[in-house]
Amino acid sequence: MSYTLTGRIQSRLAAATPALLVALALHRWWAIELVALMLAAGLVLDSTVYHRFLGYQPAWLAVPLGILELALVYGLARELGIAAPLRGALLLYGLAWASAQLFAHAVYPRLRLEYGESGGELGRAGALTAVAVATTVVGGLGGAYAVRPPTVHLHGTVQGPLVIRHAQTIVGGVVRGGILIRADHVTLRDVTVVGGEYGVDIEHAQHVMLDHVRLMHFSLDGVRALDAGVMVDHCSVTAPDGPLTTGVLISYSMGRPMSMVSRCTIVGVREGISTHSSMVDVMDNHVIGTTVRAISLSEMSMDMASGNQVESVKGIGIVCMDHSTCEIKHNTIAGAEVDGDGDPSRHGVAIESYFYAEATVGHNTVIASPGGVRAFDNSTISEG
Amino acid sequence: MRCAIVGSGLAALAGYATLRHGGLRPEEIVVLGTDEDPIACWRQRAAAIRQRRMRSESDGHLGAASFPGLALREAWRCGTLRPLVETVADRYHPTVEEFVRHAGQVVDSSGWQTSFVERRVERVRAVDGGFELDGDGPFAHVLIAAGHPGLRRLPGTVHAYEPHEYAAKVAIVGAGMAAATEWLNALAAGSEVVSIRRRDPVRRPLNVPRPFLTKRGLAPFHRLPDHERAARLRELTQPSYPPGRAWDEPLAEAARDGRFVVRPALEERTAADVQVIAATGFERGFDRDPLLADLVAAHGLETYDRRLVLAPDSTVPALTDPRRTLSIAGAPAQWAFPAADTIAGAKYAARAFLRRLCRTR
Repeated sequence: MSYTLTGRIQSRLAAATPALLVALALHRWWAIELVALMLAAGLVLDSTVYHRFLGYQPAWLAVPLGILELALVYGLARELGIAAPLRGALLLYGLAWASAQLFAHAVYPRLRLEYGESGGELGRAGALTAVAVATTVVGGLGGAYAVRPPTVHLHGTVQGPLVIRHAQTIVGGVVRGGILIRADHVTLRDVTVVGGEYGVDIEHAQHVMLDHVRLMHFSLDGVRALDAGVMVDHCSVTAPDGPLTTGVLISYSMGRPMSMVSRCTIVGVREGISTHSSMVDVMDNHVIGTTVRAISLSEMSMDMASGNQVESVKGIGIVCMDHSTCEIKHNTIAGAEVDGDGDPSRHGVAIESYFYAEATVGHNTVIASPGGVRAFDNSTISEG
Repeated sequence: MRCAIVGSGLAALAGYATLRHGGLRPEEIVVLGTDEDPIACWRQRAAAIRQRRMRSESDGHLGAASFPGLALREAWRCGTLRPLVETVADRYHPTVEEFVRHAGQVVDSSGWQTSFVERRVERVRAVDGGFELDGDGPFAHVLIAAGHPGLRRLPGTVHAYEPHEYAAKVAIVGAGMAAATEWLNALAAGSEVVSIRRRDPVRRPLNVPRPFLTKRGLAPFHRLPDHERAARLRELTQPSYPPGRAWDEPLAEAARDGRFVVRPALEERTAADVQVIAATGFERGFDRDPLLADLVAAHGLETYDRRLVLAPDSTVPALTDPRRTLSIAGAPAQWAFPAADTIAGAKYAARAFLRRLCRTR
């Protein structure tokens, strides 16, 4: 098709209708923001690149251009801090892309005979649809902006514990004595938390985001999430006070949206990352020097651990235990040390499945860990 | 509502199917032509040059809407994804058989036979309330899709579009799609081929560059002043055939063996024992078509460079107003659509004709 610029814009906007309807039906701001971002990125590309350089656009080009736009939208979403779950965002993008193809090749030519020779322009009805889509998106964004949580900038040191009972975004500062989160849609960004039993304690809340949060000198857990849906990204957990600490603990959250712990650095705790009866993606973390387990996926959890680096830990690197179902892939475990009590399940095991657990492993790298990859007590390990 | 289509070829069928898709009943349309089978004439020409595949692509069919195209229909009928994969990469060219099969379905499903009247129209006159066709009428809206005025013949030659076999030595005059097809045919028949042409053909997938099939290329084309538009048309309608190994490899191999040579003219000393095939297409210019020549003379219509000057929607501006429409489809409509003598061109005129009808209904 040789599109005119107007044709490109109208075709794109009207074809976004299914994705927009799904976003509205989801009742999630991230979905509307994502559709808006897709359209904005696409319209900018249309007017600055595609129209100028693509005098004719063959059908196959939809695939590389779709990948290019996906990368662009993903990058922008990260940059703008749109808290979209990866799977949901990909599904929404996939729907938008597929409906764009369906509309361009079947629906538009069927509904408007001269669609092709008009260069993608849709006539009066199509133009009205495009305007309606654009208006809805802008209105949705306006709504999202109007009801967005307030942002509180902390300066210097604040004496805690800080109790958060309303949606808000807290940026910067140092909080002593811990933070308690008891509301949905709370974001902590670039906050340092010093002390407290729990560095950040989240209960009965979802859509909670901890972004670049530093935690130290806590006496029990760095992050404790109970019955919560939480995204922890780029956290730093160091210098715990006491021997019984856990870096990030997510418990009994099966009824909440999936949680994620990614790109965190956790040093010197008893357990690095621990889940109980939850669904968690544990990705790309660096866990060093734990005294019991680096990553523990337990109690009927359904988790994935991928891309993590585990170093110099005592006893066990990554364990899937107690009726959990785990996917453990692309991790590197180096230097899991023998815990000297004679228990073979703690004999420097890099990856372990324990007590009726089912672990699927693949593409992991195990270095200097005498226990290797092993299953104990009616559990299984399979390659996948 | 009474509207008439003058002509009974492919462009007429495309126009008829479009009008039917637009909601007109068969009794509201009259088709005046010489052949009840709208595909017959084209099929004979395709058979003469032994054409197997269309130059057009998946949407090169005579149905009103582009979707579903021939690729999807063939994929569905044959249970294979190959046509769809090919069409995604612009490599799908339907077989003549596929095209004809679908055209037959359009004829059968549209009610063409109900509207068809066997009659050659020789005179169109604008009258109050529409147009009279050889004194009949008036018809408020008329689409002239009379086809090409005739083959462009060279004395003492056989035309490529007439049935013929190949002698041991063949000279083929021309450089377009028909000529290229004839080169390969004659080589495949074991002949030695001399390509007679004054310039090298343009290599492009379709008759014109793709932007000239849509508003992207057409809008600037329509804005050109007459002399530039005529020059652009001459450039766009130069002989051409598609690029690709299927064309190049047999020609290169034959050239290596000395069986394919290119000459600017047929040398007299060799002409005696050579069969000359004129792949020179059709007569050009409105004045070669008695119907159009009469229409232009009777109404003093504007012409330029032997072409009818048409509005961008392929109508005759002097004879079209909110109550009546005179529209041209096929080769004489190149002033509005450079690829007017293709299926895309027939549909372009037909859709514009339908839009005008819808406005007046």
